[in-house]
Amino acid sequence: MAEIHVLAPLDGTVVDLENVPDEVFAQKMAGDGVAIDPSGQVAVSPVAGDLVKLFPGGHAFGISMHDGVELIVHIGLDTIELKGEGFENIATEGQVVKAGTPIVRFDRATIEHMGKVMLSPVVSSGTGTIVRRASGTVRAGRDVLFVLEV
Amino acid sequence: MIERIIERRVTLGSKSGLHARPASVFVQNAKGFQGQITLSKDDKTVNAKSILSVLTLGAEQGDQVVLKVSGDDAERAIDRLASLLEEDLG
Repeated sequence: MAEIHVLAPLDGTVVDLENVPDEVFAQKMAGDGVAIDPSGQVAVSPVAGDLVKLFPGGHAFGISMHDGVELIVHIGLDTIELKGEGFENIATEGQVVKAGTPIVRFDRATIEHMGKVMLSPVVSSGTGTIVRRASGTVRAGRDVLFVLEV
Repeated sequence: MIERIIERRVTLGSKSGLHARPASVFVQNAKGFQGQITLSKDDKTVNAKSILSVLTLGAEQGDQVVLKVSGDDAERAIDRLASLLEEDLG
């Protein structure tokens, strides 16, 4: 058994996934994890791996690690509908990233003005079980958000 | 014995393409079947039981995707999964 420390990809406050008003995330269909109510403006990679998916509109990205570990960061809810408005991609899909590598810049005011909820799920969609998770305030690329046992 | 593989071409119905929500619903259903299931778009083929892999297809509404399913429950699986892909899952 190995433990993988998944860092917070966003500055903000940790919210239980069950309290996210989107049933796919709340029911953990996308995977177990937590949500962050973000206070910053840049989303970073939570782990070292391959940035296998970065949506052109910047609202979500996925990192693949060795051994089938997959992490998905979704910035805000239903934000695919904004088609990139309020988001600016910093990284490039396919890039190798470190924990803390900046991926997307976003503007909360613009996103909320368009009527979207800013709660941002961070889920483990591949192998591994979450054994510990943070609560309270977390800092992007610095604090552990949850620990995966694989 | 040669394992039978069923294949079906489907037009993607979700209005925002195969993004996080529809991919999660689709993969959750795919995981409920025992056989190997792949989803292809153009020349890229991925494991249909991995959300992140499915997202990497970048499939948009109206795109043609191909489902390939093996296993004892392949017929049931392909009917269920093909109809999910054709629906607008949001």
